Amino acid sequence: MNTRPLLPLLALALLPCALSAQPAPPPAPATQAIDVTSGAWEGIVNIDVSVLVPDYREPWNAGQPSGGSGTGFLIGKNRFLTNAHVVSNATRILIRTTNDPEPHPARIVHIAHDCDLALIEAEDAKHFEKLKPLDFGGIPQLNTEVIAIGYPIGGDRISVTRGVVSRIDFRPYSHTSVDSHLAIQVDAAINPGNSGGPVMQEGKVVGVAFQGFSGRVAQNVGYMIPVPVIKRFLKDIEDGRYDHYVDLAASDFPIENAAQAKALGTASDGVGVMVGDVEPQGSVADILKIGDVILSIDDNPVMNNGLVRFEGELMDMNEIVERKFAGDTIKLKYLRAGKKLEATVTLKRFDPYVRLGAQYNQRPRYIVNAGLVFQPLDRNLMDAHQMRDDTVNYVFDNFLTDKLYVERPEPVVLTNVLPDEVNTWITPYAHSVVDEINGVKIKSLKDVETALAKKDKPFIEIVLLEKNRPVVLKRDLAEAAHKRIMQTYNILEDSYLGDE
Amino acid sequence: MKLSQTLLFLALGASTLPAQTPASEAPQKKRAPAAEGSAAPQQVVQSNSLVRVNATSQPYSLHLPWQKESPSGRRGLGVVLAGNRVLVTAQMVADATYIELELPDKGQKIPAKVVAVDYEANLALLEATSDKQKTFFAGLKPMAVDVSTRIGDNVDILQTGRVGELIKSELKIGKVLTRHYNVEGSGFLVYEANNIVRSEANSFTLPVVKGGKLVGLLLSYDSKNQVTTILPAPIIEHFLKDVADGSYEGFPSLGMELQATLDEQFREFLGLKPDAPGVLISMIMKGGSAEKAGMKKGDILVAINGFAIDSRGDYRDPQFGALSSSHLVRGRAYVGDKVEIKVIRDGKEVTLNGELTRRKPDDYLVLPYLFDKGPRYVLMGGLLFQELSRPYLDAFGEERRGGAILRLAHVASHPEQYEEEGRKKLVFLSLVLPTPSAQGYDKLGGQVVNKVNGRTIHDLNDLAEAFKSSKDNMHVIELNDFPHVLYLDTFNAERDNMSLLGGAYRIGSLKRLE
Repeated sequence: MNTRPLLPLLALALLPCALSAQPAPPPAPATQAIDVTSGAWEGIVNIDVSVLVPDYREPWNAGQPSGGSGTGFLIGKNRFLTNAHVVSNATRILIRTTNDPEPHPARIVHIAHDCDLALIEAEDAKHFEKLKPLDFGGIPQLNTEVIAIGYPIGGDRISVTRGVVSRIDFRPYSHTSVDSHLAIQVDAAINPGNSGGPVMQEGKVVGVAFQGFSGRVAQNVGYMIPVPVIKRFLKDIEDGRYDHYVDLAASDFPIENAAQAKALGTASDGVGVMVGDVEPQGSVADILKIGDVILSIDDNPVMNNGLVRFEGELMDMNEIVERKFAGDTIKLKYLRAGKKLEATVTLKRFDPYVRLGAQYNQRPRYIVNAGLVFQPLDRNLMDAHQMRDDTVNYVFDNFLTDKLYVERPEPVVLTNVLPDEVNTWITPYAHSVVDEINGVKIKSLKDVETALAKKDKPFIEIVLLEKNRPVVLKRDLAEAAHKRIMQTYNILEDSYLGDE
Repeated sequence: MKLSQTLLFLALGASTLPAQTPASEAPQKKRAPAAEGSAAPQQVVQSNSLVRVNATSQPYSLHLPWQKESPSGRRGLGVVLAGNRVLVTAQMVADATYIELELPDKGQKIPAKVVAVDYEANLALLEATSDKQKTFFAGLKPMAVDVSTRIGDNVDILQTGRVGELIKSELKIGKVLTRHYNVEGSGFLVYEANNIVRSEANSFTLPVVKGGKLVGLLLSYDSKNQVTTILPAPIIEHFLKDVADGSYEGFPSLGMELQATLDEQFREFLGLKPDAPGVLISMIMKGGSAEKAGMKKGDILVAINGFAIDSRGDYRDPQFGALSSSHLVRGRAYVGDKVEIKVIRDGKEVTLNGELTRRKPDDYLVLPYLFDKGPRYVLMGGLLFQELSRPYLDAFGEERRGGAILRLAHVASHPEQYEEEGRKKLVFLSLVLPTPSAQGYDKLGGQVVNKVNGRTIHDLNDLAEAFKSSKDNMHVIELNDFPHVLYLDTFNAERDNMSLLGGAYRIGSLKRLE
């Protein structure tokens, strides 16, 4: 969903008014008391998590221990659905049912950060064998009643809150901050700890509570992940692997301007949205061009603001792509220079945007050499270091917009210089993007390792992006200092490049 | 918005800035006993070489360039020079709409105008515009400029009280260095001193004197650290000499970037001997004096005009000691002077000869500063096009510098690629006013313009020309960024232009290209 942040919220803002024009459905049935001992909700469990938050400033350290609590619910044999953010960076997961205080160790089966969903299982399935899994419903209608069930703050036992469906919209998911999917807004109170819990209507799950606004920002605005997103996740993992969302990787620009419509040759029926940008490594890189007009996706006409009518609702055209999987195809009809064209697009994941969002369950990767610390540039790094350097900020901010990922898929930053006699003159160059080391162009952290292994010259020469002089170390001095620095600064391993 | 930043520095009297009128009775009563009771009573003497300068400043709006911001007042003390001219800092009269001179004791006022100004050197020369100037200047005596100040000298900052009495704050010059003044760019000579400076009503431009002669003008006073910086007499003398010859050239520069070579490993890497002097030339500006003289990136600069350059990039000044080599060119030489540069290239010493030039603000892709003139713009059917300038970027606070502004700021710092494309200025779509012809475009802003109606855009003049030749009644605007192409109906855009003139946005003109 890289294309979302590129586009102003203009197109999205149109959606709610269209939806509110829908006739209000009949009122929901009267409320009913629930006996929590009856077993109907026994499958809704509390998830207690111990977390280790990785340290991107001292990447060789373990990180900061912390903890949290959320909700999950049984959806099949020893399979509990929850939010990815509930179990992210977990070192221990314990689940408890509302009527049994016994903690049961659990583990992650699949985790999908891009849609904030995770599937976990109890290490010992026996205890949960008799519990009844919850069933899924569909997309609830506006102004129908729902209840949110879970273990939010304010007490230890299970909690129920009630509200109506307020809005169905394409929304950013805050767990990664770069992904947007369909989300349903409800006015039932959703509080910390509700995360991962079911939102139910007529005894069926219609969503997973996952985010909201603080009361200081907006009142009674909570969001749940709707069933289409959940179903997609469950289908994706059927083959035992989560393959992530696929993307068109193109940005659309509405055709609201009469001259623009005339120039692009669109008819006056309000069909067709302009292609404003195409990612050179995305699914449509060789198909669409800037200035093309997308007319339909899988025969669903695309309106001039990028919306389609899909399953009875007006939705962003990306929703059609959203439901697909890697390797699936879509049929695109588009207009180029007044000529109608058609293409079949094989969808694939678009990776470069991932590093712009928060990432989890990863040990920070780094290389330390003679006190120089190299780390890949991503959101986690930016959040940990206060990067003042203009170049670092520019490269991160415009990684997609200026297509910097093409030349440098994983920019590497000299994040720190641990002061020592050998590098004392280099310390001011911390927070620089690394361009080249020993003549090797640095396109990923791995390249740093390769470049440093080149020992044909008496100097280690590091060229920094947009700094006009190289940083150099005498190889023999650097090698002699390396061990000393590792000891002084208490660094056990001089690199971590990931498990491969 | 460099000016407002400097205002913060000038903490003294800043709060009294709006009070243009003479002090009322109440504060006067308060002040008088305080002055008498202080440990060292101020000398009550008049100065016959100083005049008060009151200026009203009104900059153009950078975001809505057809209008001006609200006017504000500034007060300072000017120094009377030969020929009934008055010296102040350029900051004092930047964007001035009205300037007047006032006799500190009598209170007589006379309107004045700027006869010469250099915003980089932060100096301006004023002249009275009224025919009463003879009587106004009758009792005033020109002050001489003294360039002999050294580190350790005691000097006085002068201020005047309500009735023109002279108030002195004594300072000892502690350091001499180079720093940029109130616009970004290359460094100029600065005296630095530590002491407390009294706060009086006239805050912009205060003279610094020694033995009745002018040694500098106050640049900034940081009341927290009690650090005073002074624009020194050698720069003032340079400015006055330049003005005196009839055509003002400004202060020259070499146009290069140098890197210290204190790091022994770096020296060895560069092939420098352990105790050899010199600095690495890491960048040569296009069209600058250094490039014309034949300097190259990678040269080791060892001497300028016979002065050896050490590994910090300093030379030994006979008057001030170790000082940045930039002063050898900027402060000690003039545009058109010959310069002799010694460099080490491929292990051999090479002597280069050249002539010093100055890079004018207009020679930059991104205008480094803009005073007294309105920003250039073209408005077409509600689309506002401007040329990128530093002040425009600076007007966005640090927090708001994401996205398009960060991208534009990056271009401003690295203009080479755009200059190589032949661009003279960077034309961008800065704002979209809500007009029928610009329907659908109103969320845009910050996109660099590449072509209009097929014509490559090197500056706003190109853009204005390009809008004259549309095909099929359609303007096609090609942008460097999302959404890459915009279309405007020629007829509708013209109709919107007409309704914008004098409409709600109070637009008096659809373009400013002067």
